[in-house]
Amino acid sequence: MKTLIRAGWTLWLPVLLVTIWWFASANSTNIYVPSLSRIVEVLWRDISSGLLIDAARVSLTNLAVGLLIAAAVGILLGLLIGETRRLRLILDPYIHFFRSVPQSALVPLIIGAMGIGAAPKIYTVAFACVWPILLNTIDGVRGVEPTIRSVSRVFGVPKLLYFRRVVLPGAMPQVVAGLRVALPIGIVVMVVSELFASNQGLGFYILNSSATFQIPETWGGALMVGVIGYIIVIMFSLFERRVLSWYFRSGAL
Amino acid sequence: MTAPQSIHTGSLDVLGGEVLLDVSHVSMGYGDGEHEKRILEDLNLKVGHSEFVSIVGPSGVGKTTLLRGLSGLLPPKRGTVSVAGQTITGPHPDIAAVFQDYSRSLMPWMTTRENVAFPLQGQGVGRRERNRRAEESLEEVGLSGQGDKYPWEMSGGMQQRVAIARALAYHAKVLLMDEPFASVDAQTRFDLEDLVVNLREALGVTIVLVTHDVDEAIYLADRVIVIAEKPATVVDVIETGFGTVRDQVDTKADPRFQDARGRILTRLRKA
Repeated sequence: MKTLIRAGWTLWLPVLLVTIWWFASANSTNIYVPSLSRIVEVLWRDISSGLLIDAARVSLTNLAVGLLIAAAVGILLGLLIGETRRLRLILDPYIHFFRSVPQSALVPLIIGAMGIGAAPKIYTVAFACVWPILLNTIDGVRGVEPTIRSVSRVFGVPKLLYFRRVVLPGAMPQVVAGLRVALPIGIVVMVVSELFASNQGLGFYILNSSATFQIPETWGGALMVGVIGYIIVIMFSLFERRVLSWYFRSGAL
Repeated sequence: MTAPQSIHTGSLDVLGGEVLLDVSHVSMGYGDGEHEKRILEDLNLKVGHSEFVSIVGPSGVGKTTLLRGLSGLLPPKRGTVSVAGQTITGPHPDIAAVFQDYSRSLMPWMTTRENVAFPLQGQGVGRRERNRRAEESLEEVGLSGQGDKYPWEMSGGMQQRVAIARALAYHAKVLLMDEPFASVDAQTRFDLEDLVVNLREALGVTIVLVTHDVDEAIYLADRVIVIAEKPATVVDVIETGFGTVRDQVDTKADPRFQDARGRILTRLRKA
């Protein structure tokens, strides 16, 4: 019953907005603002035909691989940089330089340099997502309790074990926060990367339909990206609850 | 001033028997050269097997710095610390420590048992043996069967017991304690003090405890080292002569306790 009430509180507004959109756009004559029923119709058509499913599969694979690379690189480097003062001093300016460069603006350059295919798109996603993960991991490592560091040193905990069982879990709340920030960035960059020199994926679907004045398809593609993003965030929250269960439970007491 | 007859001015050497912990001409400080801030000047102290030594001094005198030196966390500027005849150059398997702030010294992502067993994992002790030793130590501190709880599910006193169990499970020869009971309420503090007294008697561990609490220093120790001034030096040493058994009421009513208390408080007031 409680979950039902909570779901009700979350759902009433989107349901209302979609309903308003549905009726307000029903008789639209503006070709750039087609009726929602038309959008849903083409969306359903392209999903049933497998066209959008294939596009989503290509895009999500790039996104997943890119995110995994970003997470691996960001977390490993973050642990090392966070633990090593000298490394921080040397690398700090570069980190802040690269993360300030708008990632979408680099997409044409990267694709120009690396050519078409999946690799440049994966690289673009990874490059864009690595910064929030890296910076948050460094912060998380810096935030590990000094007494816990002293304890680990007094008891002679070897470096590898120390990173695995002390620094990583200690920094984990921040690491997860970094991943949470990286997710939507990844989704945006995933789509943008497919707007250039591409012949598949959701970004290509959106660009192609727009270029050929299939406006309902453009809307449908954008809607699909939004829904996928939302589902990913919900899945991520479940993952977060699992990984950080100690964190949420200790804070709740 | 002459010492009252009932208590003895102690020595910085052991009473007899083997020296386990030998602190020789240790000076501690921060910074280098001209900018060095000297915290502790030329400390000499020998501690024997199963001995309980308290180091008492006012807040900010450098007790924690001294303990960092003894634990190998901070190398002394001059002098050496050796344990069982071996000069230490860093953290040493014969030395374990209990820190002041239990809530910061236990890892909230590990269960109590994992916290206690964790240092053993670094020593390459197998999982079964680790868990056995952890369970054994938890039992010794009166927490048997609580291994699956997380630290944050426990009271402050229980958390500090876990920290003590962790040090015991490590099977070190010397147990260093840095104001271990400063963050708990009075009743819990008495319970923990008696726990430590009993552990010393039952297990024969050698304990060096630093505290700013004069009563606690006297109550627990065989020898009380009083440090004061800046940089800190030893200003008095008192042998309590209580043996290995204590009682919160009787011991504290003992004339020797009162004498030692008066003498240390007077000495610290002068400093």
